[in-house]
Amino acid sequence: MTAMIALMSDESLPSVFLRSVFVENILLSFFLGMCSYLAVSKRVDSAVGLGIAVVFVQVLTLPMNWVLQTYVLSEGALAWAGFPESDLSYLTFLTFIASIAAVVQVVEMAVDKFSPKLYAALGIFLPLIAVNCAILGGSLFMVERKYTFAQAATYGVGSGLGWAIAIISMATIRWRMRTAHVPGPLKGLGITFITTGLVAMAFMTFSGI
Amino acid sequence: MKFLRNLIEKQRKLYHGKDSKLHKLWPLFDSAETFLFAPEHRTGPQRVHVRDYVDLKRVMNAVIIALLPCLLWAIWNTGAQHFHAWAKFGVGKEYVAGWLQALFPPTVAEPSAFDFVIFGLQRMLPILIVSYGVGLGIEVFFSIIRKEEVSEGYLVSGMLIALIVPASIPLWQLALGVAFAVVLGKEVFGGTGMNIFNPAMLVRAFLFFSFAGQISGDAVWAAGNQAPTGVPGYLVDGYSSPTALAVVKQATTNASDALQAAYTHADLFFGNMTGSAGEMSKLAVLLGAAYLIFTGIGSWRVMLAGVLSLVASAFLIKFASGAETGPISLLPYEHLLCGGFLFGIVFMATDPVSSPETNLGKWIYGALIGFVTILVRTINPAYPEGTMLAILLMNAFAPGIDHFVVAANQKRRMARA
Repeated sequence: MTAMIALMSDESLPSVFLRSVFVENILLSFFLGMCSYLAVSKRVDSAVGLGIAVVFVQVLTLPMNWVLQTYVLSEGALAWAGFPESDLSYLTFLTFIASIAAVVQVVEMAVDKFSPKLYAALGIFLPLIAVNCAILGGSLFMVERKYTFAQAATYGVGSGLGWAIAIISMATIRWRMRTAHVPGPLKGLGITFITTGLVAMAFMTFSGI
Repeated sequence: MKFLRNLIEKQRKLYHGKDSKLHKLWPLFDSAETFLFAPEHRTGPQRVHVRDYVDLKRVMNAVIIALLPCLLWAIWNTGAQHFHAWAKFGVGKEYVAGWLQALFPPTVAEPSAFDFVIFGLQRMLPILIVSYGVGLGIEVFFSIIRKEEVSEGYLVSGMLIALIVPASIPLWQLALGVAFAVVLGKEVFGGTGMNIFNPAMLVRAFLFFSFAGQISGDAVWAAGNQAPTGVPGYLVDGYSSPTALAVVKQATTNASDALQAAYTHADLFFGNMTGSAGEMSKLAVLLGAAYLIFTGIGSWRVMLAGVLSLVASAFLIKFASGAETGPISLLPYEHLLCGGFLFGIVFMATDPVSSPETNLGKWIYGALIGFVTILVRTINPAYPEGTMLAILLMNAFAPGIDHFVVAANQKRRMARA
């Protein structure tokens, strides 16, 4: 029992992981990253591609932004460089957006160079998610919740995976609905929004854990 | 029968054909006709035509027959629990009879079996009427506007809805829940056969999150008679009785002991306890399940996978944690006797529309429902029961399960070719 309680406490890594996938699913409980979610969930294979790309980028940007936050941006972070009074936290948004864009760009070029096959599968999605708010949102949650480095890395995997699960399930639902006789005005985005709401209600299964 | 047939034939020209007087109401006429008689529509004379009289309406009727034991028990038990509660909390108060009891006055001091049934009918009939009236009304309205046939999917949903809410539910809340589920969960997806989520489950989830005070807690399970002045209505004043799962959830000692102190296993199996109207009697559910499996209408794969997975997950969690106290310590098979899991897996999870279509998918789907139910029951402190949310969650993943099962099958066959 004590082992279970330790496992379920808020700070432990398995708990951070499970919370970010299910309980605080970045898409279905915060509705972040909706635009690419709605646009790309039309086809299952592109949804899988984008899902993997989001996991990939989350895993890279969260630890990097953690380093930036801890050693450059937060109050007193520059003490190692001899500026103990510095507080650059007003630059958080700007820095995070720039660092995410830079990482995505570098990763894209690297993938193109070393694995053209992976690039063909992921390539077009990478620039698309540089501006995905789930990515920036993940980094900002990490700051707000004062995660340690290990927690930030775990949260990256978990929140990316949660987003991927949400978009893949939505893509398969839309694939099944392709023959449904949806009323004209609701076709496309309308019914997708309604379905997202219902799926989010089903995800309330885990709220409270 | 002849008489009905003649009557329908006489009426037909009023509705059939574009210029006829009441052509707008054709869906209504058509649904009444096909409800009474198996339709004889055929395709052209030169084509191969496979016919089976077991159409959607006949399938739905079979499910209704399977639900009858639960409904009968719901009527009986609603009355029994009412008089049981009254014997404890009505002492010294004046008994106010309801509308049906005014015709058949009960002997309050020593209620007979007949009084139980009268009270049960008095409470269950309005619930059924509201559930069917609102739901079918919306379906017919949509069919007429969209010029489609009225389909029968709602016949089962309406009955299920009446059986999964507490008997004390205020009728306006029920009407609101039904309207929500039928419009936003079913009609906007294109009606029967197109919905992603089980409409009956959506009604309950909607009520659960919107009006938690009237659908959860310990006070709502015994219906009463008093004309309500505000919410909560239709309760026996002051009476509260935790359901089996609430006992388990609140247990600070060994949950199995706490459960058996409140209810014997026979009580749990035969349904002599409080809970949502129709889900208590495991015997009634098993009778329904046997009928569904025998006629081939309910998927035995989903049911078997769900039950096995529930027991196995409960076993694993109990022995992995080694817990001696709290909800985790409940014996695995007792999870089957508590709450609405059996009812859910037999009547809700086997819904052919919102569950996977592939056989392997059905196994996966049922197993995950059992697993998530146990997760909620044991480690989620927020809710005592997880069946409803587990089924809704798996409804969301059912198309995904199907998709990946089919993809894997294609890959396997391509490799073999």
